[in-house]
Formats: sequence, C-alpha cells, structure tokens
Amino acid sequence: MSMSAPLSLLVVGVGGQGAITAARVLGEAAMSAGLPVRLGQLHGMSQRGGSVESTVVIGPGQTAFLPTRGADVVLGLEPLEVLRARPSLHPGSRVLVCRDPVVPTSMSVQGEEYPHVAGILADVQDATDEVIAVEGGAIAAAADAAGALNAVLLGALLAQGWLPFGPDPVKAALDLSSSPARRDRNRRAFDAGWRAVAP
Amino acid sequence: MVAGPSDAEEVVVDPLLVAAPGHAALLLGNEAIVRGALEAGVGFATGYPGTPSSEVTDSFARIADAAGIEFEYAVNEKVCLELAFGASLAGARSICAMKHLGLMVAGDPLSTIPYVGVRAGLVIVSAGDPSCLTSPNEQDQRHLGRMLHFPVLDPSTPAEARELTKVAFELSEASGLPVLLRTTTRVAHSRAVVPFGPLRAPTGIGFERDPSRLVPVPHHARRLRQELKGKMEVARRRAEELFVRQGDERTAVLAAGVPAATVADLLAEHGLSDRVTLARVPCVHPLPEVGLTDLLRSSERLLVVEELSPFVEDAVRLLAAREGIAVEILGKSTGHLPEEFEYLPAVIAGGLHAGLGLGPAPAGEEEQPAPPPPRPPVLCAGCPHRSTFFAAKAVFGEDHLYFNDIGCYTLGFSAPLSAGDAVLCMGAGFSMAAGAARVTGQRTLGFLGDSTFFHAGMPPLLDAIKEGTDMIAVVLDNEVTAMTGFQDSPGLEGAPERPRTASIAGVARALGAGHVETFDPMDLPAAIGAFERARDATGTSVLVAQSPCPVHHARSTGAPLTEGCFQVDASLCSACGRDGCGLDCGMSPTPATERAMGRSRALSVLQPTASASPTTAPCGAACPLGVCIQGYIGHVAAGESAAALQMVMDRVPLPDSVCRVCHRPCEAVCVREPRDGAVAVNGIKRFVMDLAAEQGGPTWSPPREPEHDRRVAIIGAGPAGLSAAHELALRGYGVALYDAADRPGGLLRHGIPGFRLPVGAVDRDVQRILDLGVRFEPGRRLGGDLRLADLLAADFDAVLVAVGAGRAAPLTSVGPHPEGPERTDALAFLAGDGAAATGRRVVVIGGGNAGMDVARRAVRSGATAVTVLEKQALVPADFHEVEAASVEGVVMRAGTTPIEEIAGGLFVRGPETHEDLPADLIVVAVGQAVDPSFLAADDVAIERGERGALAADPTTCATSHPAVFAAGDVVAGGRTVTEAMAAGMRAAWGIDRSLRGAASADRRPPPPRPGAWPAPRAAVPRDAVARRDPPELAPDRRGPSDEVVGVFTAEQARAEAARCTLCGSCGSCRACLDTFGCPAFFMRDGVIQIDPKLCTGCGVCAAFCPNDAIKPAPEVTA
Repeated sequence: MSMSAPLSLLVVGVGGQGAITAARVLGEAAMSAGLPVRLGQLHGMSQRGGSVESTVVIGPGQTAFLPTRGADVVLGLEPLEVLRARPSLHPGSRVLVCRDPVVPTSMSVQGEEYPHVAGILADVQDATDEVIAVEGGAIAAAADAAGALNAVLLGALLAQGWLPFGPDPVKAALDLSSSPARRDRNRRAFDAGWRAVAP
Repeated sequence: MVAGPSDAEEVVVDPLLVAAPGHAALLLGNEAIVRGALEAGVGFATGYPGTPSSEVTDSFARIADAAGIEFEYAVNEKVCLELAFGASLAGARSICAMKHLGLMVAGDPLSTIPYVGVRAGLVIVSAGDPSCLTSPNEQDQRHLGRMLHFPVLDPSTPAEARELTKVAFELSEASGLPVLLRTTTRVAHSRAVVPFGPLRAPTGIGFERDPSRLVPVPHHARRLRQELKGKMEVARRRAEELFVRQGDERTAVLAAGVPAATVADLLAEHGLSDRVTLARVPCVHPLPEVGLTDLLRSSERLLVVEELSPFVEDAVRLLAAREGIAVEILGKSTGHLPEEFEYLPAVIAGGLHAGLGLGPAPAGEEEQPAPPPPRPPVLCAGCPHRSTFFAAKAVFGEDHLYFNDIGCYTLGFSAPLSAGDAVLCMGAGFSMAAGAARVTGQRTLGFLGDSTFFHAGMPPLLDAIKEGTDMIAVVLDNEVTAMTGFQDSPGLEGAPERPRTASIAGVARALGAGHVETFDPMDLPAAIGAFERARDATGTSVLVAQSPCPVHHARSTGAPLTEGCFQVDASLCSACGRDGCGLDCGMSPTPATERAMGRSRALSVLQPTASASPTTAPCGAACPLGVCIQGYIGHVAAGESAAALQMVMDRVPLPDSVCRVCHRPCEAVCVREPRDGAVAVNGIKRFVMDLAAEQGGPTWSPPREPEHDRRVAIIGAGPAGLSAAHELALRGYGVALYDAADRPGGLLRHGIPGFRLPVGAVDRDVQRILDLGVRFEPGRRLGGDLRLADLLAADFDAVLVAVGAGRAAPLTSVGPHPEGPERTDALAFLAGDGAAATGRRVVVIGGGNAGMDVARRAVRSGATAVTVLEKQALVPADFHEVEAASVEGVVMRAGTTPIEEIAGGLFVRGPETHEDLPADLIVVAVGQAVDPSFLAADDVAIERGERGALAADPTTCATSHPAVFAAGDVVAGGRTVTEAMAAGMRAAWGIDRSLRGAASADRRPPPPRPGAWPAPRAAVPRDAVARRDPPELAPDRRGPSDEVVGVFTAEQARAEAARCTLCGSCGSCRACLDTFGCPAFFMRDGVIQIDPKLCTGCGVCAAFCPNDAIKPAPEVTA
C-alpha cells in the first residue's frame, strides 16, 4: 500500500479515557499495513483529567504535526474536546465522536452545568458536515466492557472505512497493547463499536 | 476480582531489545534514544524523571536486567550526573537523563567534567520544553555547551535521536568530553518508525588512575583548561561530518532541532522542496564552520530556523562577518521568527513567506467562536493530596501562606483547594515557606512530595530547623513519583509491604525536628488533628501525610481502583433543617465558612436517626429569636466576621444589648455542655458586635421595604417595644414610640446596671432603630397623659402596648418592724444611684438575676456587707452572675427564708437554724408585676388576663380590641429580655398581618414559637476541647460602672467558634464543590451529583459533608 499525500488523524479526549492508547493502536496498525506513520502526543499530566490530544499522520513526511489544512479524521472520546478541536477541522474533515460528556471539574467548581451535547454537535457540524456520534458508554456497558471506551470508538471508526487499512491490523495492534487480563474485554468493545455503526 | 487463567506471564522480548537486523518499530523519541544507547553498548544508565524526558529512564528501568546493564533512578540530577561520570571513569559507557531544569541542578559537576574529561563515553540527555507545555519555563540548554565546553547534539526526529545517541557516545570518547543530547517535547514524545541496528553488549575498559587529570586542583585545572580547545576541535570535525545540505539554490534555510523536520514537511506540502536549499546542523555546538561558510558563500538569502534563542543564527552572523561574506541572514533578530515558544508549522510557514517569499501568506486570524470551558488537569478522584490540602485549609484557612512544590500536588494551587500561593522549583516549597516565615512572623506551610523531599527537600528542612523557623513542613508521601509516570520513590522497597528504608519522619527527627507526626490523610479527623497540633506548636513542625497513590496502587497490585462508590442524598444536600419555618437566611456560606463547616463535621458524628431528614441544631431551636447560631458561629470560625454580623443583625433587633444580657438558652442545650462546656455562643456574638462597633458601626443593615402610609404607635420603649419598632420600620411602617422615661431603653437602660450592660451598648441599639425614622415621644405615660383612644382617633392604624411589668412584686410575707431596716425594691434601687447602700449592711431578698444586679450594685456603692437570701436550695440566677457576685464579696445564703423584720435586721430561717441577720437596707428582688392602673377607666376596654396582665393571642399578639396589640411583660409577666424582643417582633408581624394581610406580612415571618421546628438532632464531638469564656475585669479593678465581662480577641473567638459541632443541616451548603473539587462531583439540573464512573469510594467527602448527605451507594449487581 502506498500513499502520495499524508492522511492526518486527530484523537481527542480527557485524560484517563485512553486517547493516547487509541492513537498508538492506529499507528501500529498503519505500520503493520506497511504505511509510513508518525504520532504526536502531549503527555505530562494528561492522565489527571485534563484535555488530551494525539495526532496520527499516515504517509510520507518527517513530523507528526497536522498539515496546514487541519485533520482529515477526528476521533473524539468526549464531545467538548471535539468542540475544542474545531480550529483543526476543515470542510472535508470526518468526525466520529462519543456523545458521553465528562464534566470539566473547573465547571463543577464554578457551579456551571455541562452544555447540551446536541448543541455541541451542532457547533461541530458548522465546521464540517460528516459528524457521526455514538453512545460509546452504553455500547461498552452492553458489551460488558466498561472502561474500554477507546476500543469501542476504534471499532466504530474502522466501520466507517475512512482509513487506508481495515479492521484486522487494528485488532492485532489492540491485542498487543492490551494486558492479558484486558484483552478479551477490549476485543468485545471493538466488536461492539463496529456493530453499533456498521451499515 | 476473578483471576483469569490467561493472566500468566507471557514471555516476550521487549520491543526495545529485538535483535533482528532490518527490524523497525514505532518508537517514542525517548525510546529511540534508549535503543541507540543499547546499540552503542551502554553499560550504566541513570536519570531523574522529568517530563518530557521520563520515558528514557522508564525504558531503561524496564529492560536493564534483560539487557545486562546497571540502572538506577538517582535521587536528583546532580547525583545522577555524578553517578554516570563515576561509571564512565570506571570504564562503562554511561548515560543519564533529565529535563531541562534538572540539567541546572547538575550544573556543578557539569562545569568541571569537561576539564577532567570522561573515560568511556558519557551522554547527558536533557529534554527541553519550548512553550512550557509541562514546565514552569522554557530554556535553551544549548548555551551550556558553549559556556562549559562540551558538544551539543540536537535531533529533529525519533529516528535521528537513535542515530545521534550512537554518535554521541563515539564523539564523547573521541573528544574526551561529555556530550549533551538535547531534545525537545516534539522529539521526545513523538512516535515514529525507527529502524534498528545491531545491539552491542556492554564492555568495560576499567579505571585508569591519573590524579594529575582527575583531581582538578588549580594548577591541574589551568593545564586542563588549555586542553579544552583541542577537545572541541575534535568535536567540530565531527560536526562537519554530520552537517547536511540538500540543494544548491541561492535561497537557503538553515534549520536545527525539530524545526529542521518541520521545514522539510512544509516545503514538501507546498511543493517548494526544489526551490530552496535546506541545510541542517544536527550538532549545534560546536558548529560545522567549514560547511556553513560554504553555505553562506553560495546563498543570497538565508533564513535560520531554530526554536528559542538565536543560538545558531548569532553564530552564523558572526561567521559571515568574520569571513566577509555578503549574505542576507534572516531569522529572529530580523523579526521574521519569534524567540519564544515552539515552532508549530504555522509559525515557520509565516517565516518562510515573510523572509523568503516562499509559500502562501499565512491565513489571517480567523474569527473563531469562543473556546469551550477549559479542562486543566486536576488531582484524581481519591487522591490523598486533596485530602491533605483540605485538612490544611480547614485548619489554617486563608490567613496563612501556602508554598507548594513540583509534583502532582502542584495542582493543589488551583481552586477550590487554593493551597499554593507560590511554586518555584524542587525543594523551594520548604525554603520559600521558611524565608517568608522569617519576615511575616506567622507560621507558614510548605508542601512537597516524597521524591522531592529526598531530591531537594532535606537541606531546606535542616535550614528551617536549625533556625527554629516557625513553619509547618508537610511531606505528601504517596510512596511513588506519580506525576512523571510512577517511578520509584527513593528508599521504598517493593510491593506489597513497601516499607520505607529511608524514613521521612526519621530523617526529620535526625535533622533535629521537635514536632514530627505521620498521619493518614484519608483519615480526615486524624489529618485535621495533626494540622491543628502543628498550628499550635512553635518552631518547625514536620507532618508526613502518608497514603499510597491509589492509581499506582491499583496498577501495581492489580487491585481494583474503585471500592464501591458514594452518592448524594438529594433530600439532605443543601437542605436546611429549619425549612418550613420560613426563616431562610438567604446567605450562601463562603468557601472559608464551608471549610470550617467541613472541619466541624469531620470532628463530630451526627447521632443516627431512623429517618433521613435535614437536621436542626439544638441551639437554634432553643433561641427565642430563631437565630441560626451555627451559621454565624461557622462564619466566625472561618474568620468571616462580616458575614457573621449580617446573620446576627438580620434576626436580632438589639444585638449590642442581647450579646451581653441574653439568658442563653442556646448554651444550656449545646451538645458540648455535658462534655467539655457549651460553646460560648453569647461571647462569640459579643465579639462580632464589638468588632463592628470598633470599626465604626455595623456595615450591614437588614433589607427594608419601601415606606407606605400605614402608621403604628408603640407604647413602651423597652426590649419588646424597641424590637417591634425596628421590625415595623423594616416593614415600611411609620412608627411613633412613646415612653414615660426621657430616653428609650426601658429595662435595658434603667433596670440593668452598667457594669453588666453599659449605656453605650444600649445607645448603639437605640440609635440604630431611631435612624430608621422611628419617632420617639418621651415623658408620655399610658394612664397619665396618654390614652389608647386618643392614639386610635389620631391617624394611627394600630397601637402596640409594650409597657412591661413596671411594678415590683411586693413581699407581703415578711412583716415590718418600726425599728426595722429601710426597705426598697430592686427596680427602684437599680433606677437610683445606689447611694442608699453606701456604708450600710444590705440584704437582698431574691436570688434571681435582678437580685445579683442589686447585690453587685450595692457592693460598688460602698455597702459594708451584702447578703443575698434565696429560699430555694439553689440560687436560680445564671451561674455566671452568681459567680461574679460571689467573687465581688456578696454572701449567698441559699435555702434561707426571711420571716420578719426585727430591730436592725431580719429574722431568717436557714436550712438548719433560725437567726437574726443584721441589716440596714433590705432590697426586695422577688420579681415584677404588671401595674393594673396603666389603662384609665375611660380609655378603650381591653380584656385582661391573670394579675392585671393584658390578654393577647400568643400567635399574633392581638388583644380584644381589633386595633390594639400587646407584647412583652405586659402580657406575660417576668420573662427575659430576649423573649421580650421575640414578642415585639411577633407583634410587629401580627400588626402587619392585620393591616396589610398575610401575603405581605409572611414575607418576613416572626421568630418561631417553641416547638415549631422538628426536634433537634445533636452531633457527638469526637474531641474534647475545654470551653473558653471571655476575659473578665479583675475584682479589685472593677469600678462602679466598668463593664466586667470583656470580649474575645479575634483568635479566641475563632478558637471558641471552632468548637461548634455543627448539629444542623445548611440549606446553602455546597462545600463539596466549593472546597474539595473532586472530579467525580458535578452539577446537573441544579443538583449536586457523584459520577459513579469516577468515584473511587475513598469516602473523604462523606467524612466532611456538613449535611451528612453523602452515603455509600448500594452495591450494583449485574
């Protein structure tokens, strides 16, 4: 498989949701599919509930920065974080987002309430037309895979056919990234995500 | 948790140790460095974690055993570099890793290593952080190479990081210099495909003794200095080999570090790669001067692209000048690129376009919608640091300074914990606190973590201890270096027991600390107790808050992070126990007050009840005025005197008087009364009022309705009449206040001696009421020149009779004697100047509060002897009054009944004997009665009750005449000042209801009638802290009208207020959100909730929830 122009992905979420792991799984999958790939990620205190973003750039090049036009695909584990990434969207961006909100502690402390998810998604849709929202938490729970939200979203993402590789390398990479105790759970989550949006 | 059969260890080769040639892996830049070191045959690795360098050491930690190399986490970067240097001298290729700040910690050894030189290759990895993504500053470590004479390599991609690591080892050995491999976040934390070379086993070349080189005494050092030039020349030659130049255009870009890769991608993206020469300098010091000279000669314009300072740019400018080359050099100094922050592609694109005319013009600042609310990192749910900070703030409040340090706990600076007034660097949490304490004269708090303590906290602690500095040094020991990714904490042995071989408390004691305590911060009462003892100690206190990081504990043991979870009972949360009484205080407690409330709840336990309903405090339920006593006491405990004042003044019409003379039913029912003494409620109220008076009068006045044209006449300006006048004025009524005396006050002014209630206090209360527009009519006596009929015929809509019980009750049982003592009554005696007692033997009949007032007035007037006779076995006056009189020399004779007067005295019957008691003056103080003559026969008729009192409805104070109301002692004889005030307020409400209707009147309900509230529920204090009373004037210094009882100092008031156990629920509480900030809490539809996905079940919130509203959630069964 070869590519002329890079395909750029942006994975966003909240520290602890597994956004960086999801990006890494996509990167490993791309590599095993024979594609050049680079990942950019901001670590630091991300696991302490802060905003997290990771880029995956597939194709020729040296850095993991998004190209000037922005991200071609956005995988959002949390609605508000997708809205935060709006400056990186272009009219051709495709967005897959989990509808379940995680209320920023800074809002709770102020006594503020989380904005309506439908409103957030409408704002995202102002920037790009292709926005698919899934009930990630419910899908994970139904698959007895609570805590594997990132795997659910990966399954749903691969079901869209937006990437230059299919589900198999992703499943393999997901297996490799999982501890033995979590492997079955993550597989169930991936499959449930796939089934939830597959046509 | 069920152990699965597949949990067994799988034997796999670590990805970094795959030997196969031709293999490639998706590696972080940090991991690529480790692979490069392994391929270079590294034998010793060490480091101190610091983002973004940490994965270098973490990877070594993981593979060291399998790779057969020595590894350790050093306690700090100075030690780290010295270890690596020692290993290098001993012949092993060595590497050490740290972040940019750490390199400055290692500055001392770094300065001299180039002089003495390395033996086996020594590579220092130091990760920089342009844009301060995870650091307090950005700094350019490249300058150190120039300043201290060593080479600096600057990789731009993970793959290059691997290659340059190998180069670094070779270069180090070739030049004899340490080599700095300087990375930045975008290399360290980018993941890319890295091709592997062959692994090389560590080899040792042994130590070579050579003191003339390795002991840099001055005459050695001077020789070694001269060798540096030659060493650097070796490095320059290698730099020439590393120099990369692509293209031969007249327009050129010279780039270093990550921007070199970014420029390449940008040129490719915009199809410009063949229109510009791109040169890269992987070795930024020393620079490849030959290659660069050639580049300069062949270029017309050269844009230098590097992050942070113009390090390469300045050198190239110097080179062009030296070689006399006419080339236009663009970069930071020409304004085409910035000096600060990392170079994202848009920044470089701007420079390419502006400087070289390449690529599209950068898009203008697009109008972006407002960004969503920020989501900064927070301490995790269940984090012990949160609990420690909460306890510290609950004890030290806003008055003390909090110095914080570098670690997860830095996050404690932000709201709502707000426990970080300053943060600087590793260890400074202690040293800054010590420095500040030296000049503020106040105990300060310094916080740092276990790793930081061993890294840089011990020297400042010793410094504080040796100076006796007044501070509290808190070590937040979560048994791991959590922030940088759970590296080992020094001196901690492996799971599961994890005993500390390096005891933090032991170190503190060894350094000479006198007060050292270790506590579990998840046990909130224990944590609060430890901070309170540290507050009350002197010198340097050391507190070790020891509780393992729950996230690390879960990951390292496989135990679940969550052990059940808690939920908020909405029927208890933010629910006032007094709802229904209508006395909504309408006040949101401040976070400081909520902390005080939380502390009180943590230190006491509510008695369990069958039904979960909001609770009422016994004190407030017993208060005739319905004051939320725990509310204003909570404010005082938090140092929020202004808020306390507001709560008092909203419910108490005569606060300056009542805080001195109240009979204090609240204190009688306080849960602390039987244990360690009731909270000194009235003393605290007095503190609030005196503080306001001292500051020029209260700044708060209760809200007032607009005036309307209804008018009320009040007859009697005592406590009931004044309170009614105050309340009616607030309700918008015109009020005329009539009294027989020439000044308002009644009993307060004429019946209570000044040493107990100074005239000034009464004047303050009276003036506040007159200032509301109440008109005072002096010298008007009902039954004299004043008739109800006349007032009603004038334009008053209602009349309130509050003339009190102005007649002394007679003592008919004691027969007179012609030569007996002079006899008077308490009212007359107290209204006079006391001269009747001067030089005489005085006997007071009646041991109530009035009797005590008489006796004490007699003492002050120069009576030669004062005796109080009380027929009951116990003197019924307030304990404090009896005690004060006794201290002043009054003789109490309980159980003694006067029988009859005799010549020069009284014949009395005591508990055991009869006797003649000599006396010159008898003052009868057996109570007061209503004077039935106050209504003239021709005035309007009002139905009477017992003993001439007026009959009035106990709820509305209405009498048999529709426009006449009655309140106070004229209705029910002989009650207290506070009860009279309550009656006056109730009468005002009754009048308002009759004149404007319930809808208007009920907006301000009257004080509750006894029993109106649900039965109070008491809390049980866990601690015992003796009651503190306000100071009193020494008996020998009590002048005739000097007030005896003094006032608490602010500190005393706060300490006494802190004893309140907070028995009642608060309707405005939001303490969990306002003071704790756990991410599991959120607000939806105005209701506080806990997210079961985030709650770890630690239960700390439940321990302090003032309303006891947080309960374990029922187990969810699948």
